[in-house]
Amino acid sequence: MKRLLRLPSLLRFTLVFLIALVFQNCTEQKIKESTDETLNITDFLRDEPEFSMFLEMLEITNYAPFMNTYGTYTLFLPTNEAVKEYLKDAGVSSLKDVPLADLQNIVKLHILNQTINTTDFTDGKIATPSLYGQFLVTGATNKNGTSSTTVNKQSSILKSNVKVGNGVIHVIDKVLRVADKTLAQTIEQDTNLSLFTEALKVTGWYDALNKPIDYTKNDIDSYLTVLAQTNDAFKAAGINNIEELKAKYSHLHNPLDVKDSLNLFVSYRILPKLQYLADIAISPALVTKAPLEVISAKLDKDVILLNEEVFNGVLEKGVAITREKSDVTASNGVLHFAAANFAIKKRLPAPVYFDFCDQNEFRQLTSVFRIPGAAPKTSLAKALFKDVTWDDNDPITYFKDPAKGGTVGFGWHGDCLEINRFRNGNCQNITFTTPVIIKGKYKLWISYRGQDTKVGLVKVFVDGVEMSRQINMLENGNKFSSIEERVLESQGYKRHIEPSSSKMNCRLVGTVDIATTGRHKLTLQSQSSFSAQAWFDVAEFRPVDMDQLYPKFNSGTSGFAPIK
Amino acid sequence: MQTKIKTILAIFTLFISVTSCDDYLDLRPQDGIIREEFWKTKEDIQAAVIGIYSSLLNSPPGVADLSMSQYLFMHGELRGDMIAPGPNVTEDQRDIMNSNIMASNDLTSWAIFYRTINYCNTVIDLAPAVLEKDPTLTQVQLNHYLSEALAIRAYLYFTLARTFKDVPLKLTATLTDKDNFQLPVTPQKDVFAQVIKDLKLAEGYAVESYGDIASDKGRITVYSINAMLADVYLWNDNFQEAFDAADKIVKSGKFDLIEASNNIWFNTVFAKGNSIESIFEFQYTKTNLGPFYNFLTFRPQFLASATVSEDVFGVDFENPANKDIRGDRTAFVAGTNEIYKYVGSDNDSRKELQDADTHWFVYRYADVLLLQAEALAELNRGTEALAIIDYVRLKHDAIDQTAESIGTDNKKEVIDYILAERSRELAFEGKRWFDMLRNARRNNYERLDILTDAALLSAPPEQQQSIVTKLKDPNSHYLPINTYELYTNKKLVQNPFYK
Repeated sequence: MKRLLRLPSLLRFTLVFLIALVFQNCTEQKIKESTDETLNITDFLRDEPEFSMFLEMLEITNYAPFMNTYGTYTLFLPTNEAVKEYLKDAGVSSLKDVPLADLQNIVKLHILNQTINTTDFTDGKIATPSLYGQFLVTGATNKNGTSSTTVNKQSSILKSNVKVGNGVIHVIDKVLRVADKTLAQTIEQDTNLSLFTEALKVTGWYDALNKPIDYTKNDIDSYLTVLAQTNDAFKAAGINNIEELKAKYSHLHNPLDVKDSLNLFVSYRILPKLQYLADIAISPALVTKAPLEVISAKLDKDVILLNEEVFNGVLEKGVAITREKSDVTASNGVLHFAAANFAIKKRLPAPVYFDFCDQNEFRQLTSVFRIPGAAPKTSLAKALFKDVTWDDNDPITYFKDPAKGGTVGFGWHGDCLEINRFRNGNCQNITFTTPVIIKGKYKLWISYRGQDTKVGLVKVFVDGVEMSRQINMLENGNKFSSIEERVLESQGYKRHIEPSSSKMNCRLVGTVDIATTGRHKLTLQSQSSFSAQAWFDVAEFRPVDMDQLYPKFNSGTSGFAPIK
Repeated sequence: MQTKIKTILAIFTLFISVTSCDDYLDLRPQDGIIREEFWKTKEDIQAAVIGIYSSLLNSPPGVADLSMSQYLFMHGELRGDMIAPGPNVTEDQRDIMNSNIMASNDLTSWAIFYRTINYCNTVIDLAPAVLEKDPTLTQVQLNHYLSEALAIRAYLYFTLARTFKDVPLKLTATLTDKDNFQLPVTPQKDVFAQVIKDLKLAEGYAVESYGDIASDKGRITVYSINAMLADVYLWNDNFQEAFDAADKIVKSGKFDLIEASNNIWFNTVFAKGNSIESIFEFQYTKTNLGPFYNFLTFRPQFLASATVSEDVFGVDFENPANKDIRGDRTAFVAGTNEIYKYVGSDNDSRKELQDADTHWFVYRYADVLLLQAEALAELNRGTEALAIIDYVRLKHDAIDQTAESIGTDNKKEVIDYILAERSRELAFEGKRWFDMLRNARRNNYERLDILTDAALLSAPPEQQQSIVTKLKDPNSHYLPINTYELYTNKKLVQNPFYK
């Protein structure tokens, strides 16, 4: 001790300082490490006691940690009341008594792995399927003067667009139920459809409609849509039982034969793919399972009319779809009700405007597709596409610019399909599946954005048959800006957008004879080694007897320009 | 030596202490005037009142929001059936057009309205005290100023209540940070009642004329107050009162409809403004331009909808020269569907960007005439109502294709005809949605079909059903309270439709 005191004052001071330092250091300093306090879904649920039962469901199914990871989810969140009601329906007293697989399916049905706000809802399905695989349908309902948005028809949204760290939550008042009946079972169950059920059975279509979908595969194409008709609709057409139906339609007396008219009568009412009324309202022609036959659809105010058309100057009255009953979701498709009996119709050629970007895979990019101001380019790999194929392995790109601006914003919808290196070894022989084209003769116009260098000629094939002209992508619209439109048309060019822009050009590649009604293959083949991007806008199949210039497309947005 | 230093120090200290309590300790803003120094003379009141009008034209420096006239345009047209999205439309605008409205939508901000309301409140609260300080200010003069502040405040509350339904009603000036900002909403009918009360008071105070045309059309007069009264009475279903208010304007003999003629009529009424047809306009000038050229022509956010040409103004397919002068090349340009009313110099030529000073038309004589017709129709005086419509149609060259021959005792048809005529006469003047809503909501939403039919025409097909169902809820006809307002004012309760 004495020695310590004898130390020089400087050393003593240092010692005291060090000791002080040691004591001070023992208090832990708190550093804020997070930059954002927003809770993720599971933590959000832990904070809100009114959703404790859904949290319990997440925990039982072991999805709770997963819903707390970062991502872009949409959760349809049932309140405790809703879950209790579900338990009552299921006849059990607690969530633990529900079979685990059922619970897992239900939870998965409530989650989408894209963030979807209510502003994106339509009258039909949400573009992204639920994690379970089934699509959810949105709409609106009015009860006692109060309107609210609905999900799967039964559940009303109580609180919408609650932002959380990993997505968005919509609170709903009923648990969404997995549709566990197939179309065939759903139809059979409805006593009003007994005659239709019998027709399905005698023609063998019952089994096709009874085949469940394998949700583990993302197999949208195996969904079916049925336009059923009730006994009353049959009765109004003078058909009271299956014998009369057979007598009226079955001309080969073998309904199981696909060529038999009764078989065609049934297959004409079965449409491939999942098409809710909102989808039908925007598609001009619906493919059916009857070979080469389509149903036309038309929206008249709020009524969807099937097969209403003017034929030889005479209006043929269409058949309405009964809205209130329709949009019934089954496990393998959707069921609609036609208000009256209808028969196969002969179709006249109608124009088909095929925007190259209008691919399901691009449409599913809900935050990008046709959204003004979104990230301009999104590339998707070859393996993802269903209706587009090409040689070699470069991706293709959805390219959206501000309307009437940027590089491709002048095109229809302000977007173009971009092929970065349209050449052998990167991307060649790109083949698109067109929308349904009714059989007949068409002129095919392809529009694109022209450039001055680094691109070249492109050959066009329809169903493998080469068209008479090639596209020269070096040709800009400005080379022809002084030529009168009809003169230009006679030379095989036109200005396809309104207001027209010299940046875009449109080329008549030839006349094509479409032999069968249905979807066809359109192939583009680069003739040289392009070293710049190629941008394609629209392919127009216009019947030969139609005006080839009008209507024109709106530059930058959807729809057609008013005719001047 | 020591004493000398002490003396100097003492003198210095004394000097400092005597002079120190001066200006530099007194903090005043260098770039503005404080209240105690203002409000002393009648010129101060006039400056404050002109400031109110100025805030209607464009936002004050340092505030970067849209101008009042652009809000009035959007609140009146976005939800109507006469406009379509243009190439430069924003997501927020498109969402409102598609009835896809959320509280986070920026266009639901009402800040600009309450800013000007506060200017009005300040004049109403502080101007009366000037009477004691300035002996040259008479009570009559003071009342004139008060009438202007009261009427503008009433018009803004009227617009807010038509747009948001229930809104906070603040009738005193916000002068310090200690004021209570946590105000609950007042029901729509009470807001309307307050608006009527204010307008009645203002009417008693107001002038008939300021002695020059620009002031008569650009400042509040007895006539602009009566135009507002006629409008708000119709919203309140006080039809006789609405008729009487409109009749005061008609009987004054100061207003008339100009015989329509190519170029001259458009140039007089719209391009130049302040015509004999005009009652109250926002006075944009070449040094203080309106927003219209920018959002309608330069970067078009809105176009006339595709149906306007044929369905609203009518087309004579046999004789293209026979057209409604209020349609093509007045309200819009057929073909491109550009909205033309605010950018044209006459029917053939456009204004230049730097000259685009077209006014915003709050009330025109034709508007008041048609409001009067609406009151007459509701009073079961259909014959007189039809006479007014015919008069407007005759003066303004409506074509036979849009004429309707209807039974004068069929109230529904007369009202539909008035609505159609209003859509022609007042196209793109921020009236359409309010016209539809006012008539739809009468008698407990007896005419909801006006709104749903319009939606069926204009809604995108894949959302049509949801939009129509949503419109069946009366609460959906009003915009939500913006999220930011709910966050700052805890007393506000959101419109239940926007849960």
